[in-house]
Amino acid sequence: MVSAKSALYYATHVNELRAIIQWTTWHNPVHERNEAKECETLKECFRLLNLTSRSFAAVIKELHPELLVPVCLFYLALRGLDTIEDDMTIDIEVKEPLLRQFDVHLEDESWTFDGNGPNEKDRELLVKFDVVAKEFNKVKETYRAIIKDITKRMGNGMADYAKNQDHNANGVKTIKEYELYCHYVAGLVGEGCTRLFVEAKLANPALLNRPELMESMGQFLQQTNIIRDIREDHEDRRYFWPKEVWSKYVTEFGDLFLPENKQKALNCQSEMILMALKRADECLFYMAGVKEQSVFNFVAIPQSMAIATLELCFQNYDMFDRNIKITKGTACSLMMESTQNLQLVCDVFRRYARKIHRKNSPRDPHFLEISIACGKIERFIETIFPTQTAKTLSAGSSATSTAVAGRPPLSEAEAEKRKEDEEAKWDVIYIMVAVFGTLGLISILMIGAAWFFGARFDLAFGALKNGNFLPPKTPQEVSSVASVVSSKYEGAVHSEL
Amino acid sequence: MATFKKDEKVKSLGHVVVTGGSGFLGHHIVSLLSTRGACTKITALDLRTDANPVDGVQYETGDITNYDAMLSLFQTLKPDAVIHTASPHAMNNKNHDLFYNVNVNGTKTLVRASQEAGVKAFVYTSSASVIHDTVSDLVNADETYPLIMGDDQPEYYTTTKAQAELHVLASNRTASHPNFLTAAVRPSGMFGEGDVQLLPPGLSAYYRGQTKFQLGNNENLFDFTEITNVAHAHHLALAALLASHDRDASGLARPLDHEKVDGEAFFITNDSPVYFFDFARMVWAAAGDQTQPSQVWAISKDIGLLIATLMEWIFWIFRLGKPNLTRQQVKYTCMTRYYNIDKAKKRLGYRPVVGLDEGIRRGVKDALYRGVVVGQPMDLKGKKEQ
Repeated sequence: MVSAKSALYYATHVNELRAIIQWTTWHNPVHERNEAKECETLKECFRLLNLTSRSFAAVIKELHPELLVPVCLFYLALRGLDTIEDDMTIDIEVKEPLLRQFDVHLEDESWTFDGNGPNEKDRELLVKFDVVAKEFNKVKETYRAIIKDITKRMGNGMADYAKNQDHNANGVKTIKEYELYCHYVAGLVGEGCTRLFVEAKLANPALLNRPELMESMGQFLQQTNIIRDIREDHEDRRYFWPKEVWSKYVTEFGDLFLPENKQKALNCQSEMILMALKRADECLFYMAGVKEQSVFNFVAIPQSMAIATLELCFQNYDMFDRNIKITKGTACSLMMESTQNLQLVCDVFRRYARKIHRKNSPRDPHFLEISIACGKIERFIETIFPTQTAKTLSAGSSATSTAVAGRPPLSEAEAEKRKEDEEAKWDVIYIMVAVFGTLGLISILMIGAAWFFGARFDLAFGALKNGNFLPPKTPQEVSSVASVVSSKYEGAVHSEL
Repeated sequence: MATFKKDEKVKSLGHVVVTGGSGFLGHHIVSLLSTRGACTKITALDLRTDANPVDGVQYETGDITNYDAMLSLFQTLKPDAVIHTASPHAMNNKNHDLFYNVNVNGTKTLVRASQEAGVKAFVYTSSASVIHDTVSDLVNADETYPLIMGDDQPEYYTTTKAQAELHVLASNRTASHPNFLTAAVRPSGMFGEGDVQLLPPGLSAYYRGQTKFQLGNNENLFDFTEITNVAHAHHLALAALLASHDRDASGLARPLDHEKVDGEAFFITNDSPVYFFDFARMVWAAAGDQTQPSQVWAISKDIGLLIATLMEWIFWIFRLGKPNLTRQQVKYTCMTRYYNIDKAKKRLGYRPVVGLDEGIRRGVKDALYRGVVVGQPMDLKGKKEQ
């Protein structure tokens, strides 16, 4: 139910409420899954998807029918890995082989696992994992190979981290390690998805030749989550912010949360955000390679959410105190904008880049670099959707009408337009002259009339010079002003008398 | 500058003459080429000799508008290449004859003398303003934009730079001198150590206490270029011209149209456009400014123009000279002006070697050290470390 707090929030943020209503009433899925044709095991898979994913389930279920099931199963496979990796109640001796052989379990229609701790929220997925395997074996061979490959590599990567005592005790050390970790948990997902899209002919195959683009897609999402979740991860004793970064600001990681280190924490935060922000232009580049609407929505929604989350975190100390997340209203309006076309997503990125830029402070050690990163996003958008080129210089700018030797003379329309502009300019000037002239004339007449009837401007100026800007209120004040003035301008006053 | 080391086997540029070699950019080119050991010999040519000359560089004084003097100098020196940076200061001078004489006549004289003395390559320092009418926005502008000069160009200085550039590029591979190759570099918003036009006036605004004001919404991106990068681009352009010259000499085919450097102009920037006031704030912060974004009072462009217009009138009526705020300043600070430098990246292999951040820190320190900032605390002058 809607809590009183959120009711109050949306009462004061009507635009966000509008976005929620619009999204829930107007959004039509690009494709809808046909439940009638689904068998029991597949239905069960979608139930597990709803159970384990809050944000992804919706976009996955709207995917193109060709990829609907493969991507759903891909998600469940990775979620299964994650559930094993995350569970600290599983002994490493058990965990390591499970992770490394998970790609085999994925095909084994009899394999299930009930070794998760009772508090593990996604426990049920592994308990019923045989349904996933049954569906997986029905999928096209090419898709299966991609999913297996990524699952195997991610499982091995996770096993390496799980086994690494040093990593478990001290967290991520260098920026390189940090990016490698993000590569295993997100960059690989980006690769897997891209290969699936290209295989289904729903994305430009050129994306596979630019692996840094799909890597950035994953890195951007993962880094944003790691930045936002710092408080929660700290409480769970998991350390993903690289020591190479935070050690520049504090000696112990926990010190970031001390109130006296507030400024240091914010400086450290901005360095982390900068690192993620540098990936944003490559994410836009990637999205330009997607051909099909449902796939576009699938990749664009999380990216828009991520840049909005970065903006929410930037220079926001609340992030160190509690979990923060973008409001549901913002999320809905972002989803509306991310389910149409690349230009709107670019607008989202530019809007949030400018918001970040506006909060950027010169006291921050990364001030200029953040400004450059925001500028880079804007400039990249200009390369996809130019607002100006040599041929289409903005109309009305005199650059359109330059006469360089050898250039064709102005076209008639241009000359006409120029003449009109010129006339309009002079019209404005004449009106201004008339207005100010009239005002000036009236002023002169009034002042002259006042002078004619004996107004003493010299006395008035004299009083102003002495600092009496307000008219005197009491008779005493009048007389005192008069006496000061008269003593100064005795000659004048006498002649008056 | 990690890409170039003295002992690396890089083909020498031979004997290079740098005109304006004691000026802001010329000095940096001379010192960069010298540090890199890129030439067999460097001659710096200027009206005056350098206040802090670079070791191992020959300094010559001479007037580039004097054809006889230039020809005899070049015939004596027999340079392989010329980098032509000499130009009068654009800001402090309204002398049209001087601009025309130095920029157009001087350049024509140098080109002719170079051709006749058998110079192989000629790099001309143009300006990124040659495509700008001083009013319109330039958004990711590239070299396909037309030159703006004559009546359409309010800045006469820019007209003369554009005319000189046209002449230099037209002199590439002419029928009479087919082995004389030319290129033009168009830097945008140069700043750095030794700078008098950008950082010192910017810093003065800080010492006058103007850091809490902002004109416009500060969403306009602007390109600035650290001076070492501009020098680096000249080095690359010259090396490319000489390489083409050598290809011609050894009978190889000419470079293709999309890769040729000769006869071409190149925009050069730091490849990182920033919001105009962010650059200024970084400069101020480097000098110690503590202003927070929340303390800044933003004046919209229209209000700024109105105030500037009123001030210009008042100052004009009472003959008070130049006001603190002019319409041109308002327009410049609210203008978007950045360039697409893909051409320089692809054909010259250009990448900035000094970042904006580092460049600003160095440049600000240097400006205060030299004591050229109006209103600066004079105890910073001549002080090495702050």
